[in-house]
Amino acid sequence: MDKALRPGRWLIYAILFGFALFTLLPLIVIVLNSFRTAVEIGRSSLIGWPAGLAWRNWTEAWGHFCIAQRCEGIRPYMENSFMMVVPATILSTALGAIAGYSISLWRFRGDTIVFAIVVMGVFLPEQMKLIPWALVLRELDLTNTIGALVLIHTVQGFSFTTLFCRNYYIGIPQDLVKAARVDGAGYFRTFWRIVLPLSPPIIIVTVIWQFTGIWNEFLFGVTFTTGEQQPVTAALIAIATTPQTDVVEYGIESAAVLLAAIPTLLVYFFGGRYFLRGLTAGAVK
Amino acid sequence: MRIRRRSLLAGAAATAALPLAVRAQVKPRVTFISQWSSGSDGAAITGLGKRLEAEGGIWQHSPVPGFTTEMMNKLRADIIAGNPPAASQLKGPEIAAWCKIAPTVNLDPLVEAAGYEKLIPTELVGLHKPQGHWIALPMQVYRTTTLFMSRPAMAKVGATKAPKTWAEFNELATAMKAAGITPVANGGIRWDDGMKLEIALAGINAESYRGALMKLDAKALKSADMLEAFAQLRKFASWMDPNIAAQHYSVNLPKFLKGEMGMLMMGGWAQGVIKNLGGKLEDVLITSAPQNEGKPCFVLNADSMIFWKRKEPDLTAGQQLLAKLMMQKDVQEQYSQTTGSIPVRIDVDLSGPAWSDGQREAAQVLNESFKSKRVLLSLAHNIAQPNQISSAMIDVLTEYVHNDKVTPEQGVQRLAAAVDTARG
Amino acid sequence: MRRRLAGFLPLLVIWIPLLISVAHVVGFTAWTTWLSFTPSDLLPEYDWAGLRSYRAVLRTENTAIAYANLLVYGVGYVGLTMIVGFVLAVLIDQRIRAENLLRTIYLYPLAVSFVVTGTVWSWLFNPGQGIQKFVNNLGWTGFRFDWIIDRDFALYTIIIAAVWHGVGFAMALFLAGLRSIDSDLHKAAQIDGAGPLRFYLRIAAPGVAPIAISVLVILLQYAIKTFDLVRALTGGGPGISTTLPALVVYDFMFQRGQLGRGSAAAVLLLLSLLVVLLPYYLYVHWRARRERTNG
Repeated sequence: MDKALRPGRWLIYAILFGFALFTLLPLIVIVLNSFRTAVEIGRSSLIGWPAGLAWRNWTEAWGHFCIAQRCEGIRPYMENSFMMVVPATILSTALGAIAGYSISLWRFRGDTIVFAIVVMGVFLPEQMKLIPWALVLRELDLTNTIGALVLIHTVQGFSFTTLFCRNYYIGIPQDLVKAARVDGAGYFRTFWRIVLPLSPPIIIVTVIWQFTGIWNEFLFGVTFTTGEQQPVTAALIAIATTPQTDVVEYGIESAAVLLAAIPTLLVYFFGGRYFLRGLTAGAVK
Repeated sequence: MRIRRRSLLAGAAATAALPLAVRAQVKPRVTFISQWSSGSDGAAITGLGKRLEAEGGIWQHSPVPGFTTEMMNKLRADIIAGNPPAASQLKGPEIAAWCKIAPTVNLDPLVEAAGYEKLIPTELVGLHKPQGHWIALPMQVYRTTTLFMSRPAMAKVGATKAPKTWAEFNELATAMKAAGITPVANGGIRWDDGMKLEIALAGINAESYRGALMKLDAKALKSADMLEAFAQLRKFASWMDPNIAAQHYSVNLPKFLKGEMGMLMMGGWAQGVIKNLGGKLEDVLITSAPQNEGKPCFVLNADSMIFWKRKEPDLTAGQQLLAKLMMQKDVQEQYSQTTGSIPVRIDVDLSGPAWSDGQREAAQVLNESFKSKRVLLSLAHNIAQPNQISSAMIDVLTEYVHNDKVTPEQGVQRLAAAVDTARG
Repeated sequence: MRRRLAGFLPLLVIWIPLLISVAHVVGFTAWTTWLSFTPSDLLPEYDWAGLRSYRAVLRTENTAIAYANLLVYGVGYVGLTMIVGFVLAVLIDQRIRAENLLRTIYLYPLAVSFVVTGTVWSWLFNPGQGIQKFVNNLGWTGFRFDWIIDRDFALYTIIIAAVWHGVGFAMALFLAGLRSIDSDLHKAAQIDGAGPLRFYLRIAAPGVAPIAISVLVILLQYAIKTFDLVRALTGGGPGISTTLPALVVYDFMFQRGQLGRGSAAAVLLLLSLLVVLLPYYLYVHWRARRERTNG
């Protein structure tokens, strides 16, 4: 069926692009600001065309800006974030896939209750978890390490990834699994032969979701690490919290924010299509 | 023969062990947590660290990005983990609250050796000895009851001197408003709103301030002075820039320096902010806020460091070194010159060129207030009350400033009610 | 022997992560609930204090304002996001040429953290330096866009920023839902002579209802947990007019160092979450049962 609403097709494009402009507005502003000096911004407003290209903002933000006493910009903090996000994403996705598979296709006693409780974890507010985690980390002797953040994000991410994967795997026809079992395949073989090959859409959705969520997380990152192990979100807050006796360096702040957002932006830029495909394939029901 | 060899061996071993013992003498080390990651506070604490290193210590400072709450979260997490820093930023009544949850170091021997206690304002001493002995040291003092006046604005209305009472202030403000100048250049952040009340009340009656805001006496909280303070606060609110919302006062400074805004009631630290913005201090008149009683009064805000008990010898040595340094005149001078505050010791000579007129004036007022027992503790900066009470009170004050439908009578009632709830 | 191991290993692989997760969820919730009945201040204490913390929390003005705000914000944020998301999805579904480009643009806000979202929008909303100043500089000096400093309107700035962040997600899910509607249905509708409007109202909308429920739940839980965005955008102000329940929890727990009250506030927050989630669980259960009988 030709669903095209012929009359007023221009209206459709107008609305779509109008909203696209609204969506892009903050990005445009911040990109422009990253090329303006703080003096320029102070004199006119936060929205404006750069007078020149203040590349200095970028070099300062990347490698020279002083956060606390380290004047190395945000580069070391980006590295910390990577070291935390990559293992946590991989672990939580893998564990979530297996758990989702188990709950949906390899039924066992009590699976509904367990699933409900695990999913409850998605909704717990962060603030109430701060102190319990501090106590847990003390017992495990993991305070002030990146490993602590990996553990926290893996356990918390597990709730999300299990939810996504289980909702997806439940769409796999039972007959396929039954056929495999008749052929003598056990738990692992079924996963490897049948489920995993069908998984790319949901794995991609999950990885994108987890990577973004963990990369952008602030509260735990700041509380459970010190100085050198802090993730980039902590560095951004340090730049943004102006002490009482300073001028706000909007230009450098903008450049820093953009640099810190590049990994997740790239993830959505390249993965956006797969994200949609994964959702279409029934990721969230 | 054998014995001799054995004793020779023993002697050799002892000699060999001697340099080891000397080598084992630890390098003092300090781990420190604060929120001071940048700006003049950051520069000052870094300077302190360099001084520690110059004296042979190792300085390991972990500033926590964000504000005081984030720093305290980190501190709490570290305490829970059994790994508190050797020293950390902590101020006012928090010292009393936090020392109950983790063991601290008894600094009495060091303090007595330096004869330090007589050199600090009495109100401060009590805050640092909640259990009867010194466990923390103040680092710098700020006065909150400071009045900054824009000279260009004054010229425009023909004012030649600063107002000495609230009545004079109100007259001047009305004149400024008529001339198209925004009379009050304050911002709209919570502590700014809280400060405006405390400055008003301290200027009306210092003893009422002490009773109401420091002792939380119910009668004082509902007194006529309090009502007058709220009325004055309402006036301040009406004279502020209506667009200020919840912004920092520094966004008003460019206009203030040009004379489009007239007066700023702020702590002494504003001096540093003005300088950093490229403002010239000659354009600003810095003096005490109006005092209806005509006598000097000083509302103080102080930063302090608390020392947490550690077993490691290098950390204990580091703590001793840091404490000694913090009590020294030259260290305090260096610190205060960097931040624009006043040194804690009242025997520091501020006549040199490194000090500004504003600092000199404030130090003089501190001295006089100290002698006449008119030193008060700031509510807005969490010195007078622990966070849970001051937060509740400032909630009421900031609501009052931004909601002109609340009358002064209602303001007084709400404040008293908030104190009750927060305490109960 | 191998057979027994093969039977045992899956159990380990299944149960260990699940048990850790359950322990984490149940343990933390139970601990917080217990703490809400204690007089804890800076550090947890485990004596019994009854409902004292709850009474104190419910008496403070913050709590009343926070939940009132949550109602307005929740409805505004979730409602607007879903409506705009659905409309965009429908429009894109019209075989638009620039679909890839538009989709990328709509999705990118999801990549941006709430802290950055709040910070950048606070710049835009700032009357002295943002949109208002920009338009004033252009010559239209009477223009005012100072919602963020207005106690009655500041909450809407938060809604705008949150909607900006979430529309892409809603659109993506609705588009996925629309696309998965059986093409036979399309053809059938066409044969029946149903116009596009009829199609969307009668067939597509009910078809994406299950997905809409998912979107609703995910957005609602975001709304209830909103914290970073408000802190970065308005700090809870002007005054305390834009505070939300998650901020109240943080305020009591950490700013004031009253863990007992903070935990009580957290439990209240969880209860409000349950109000949202319980109907959802019941709905899923009901739908599953319906599918089974219709199967």
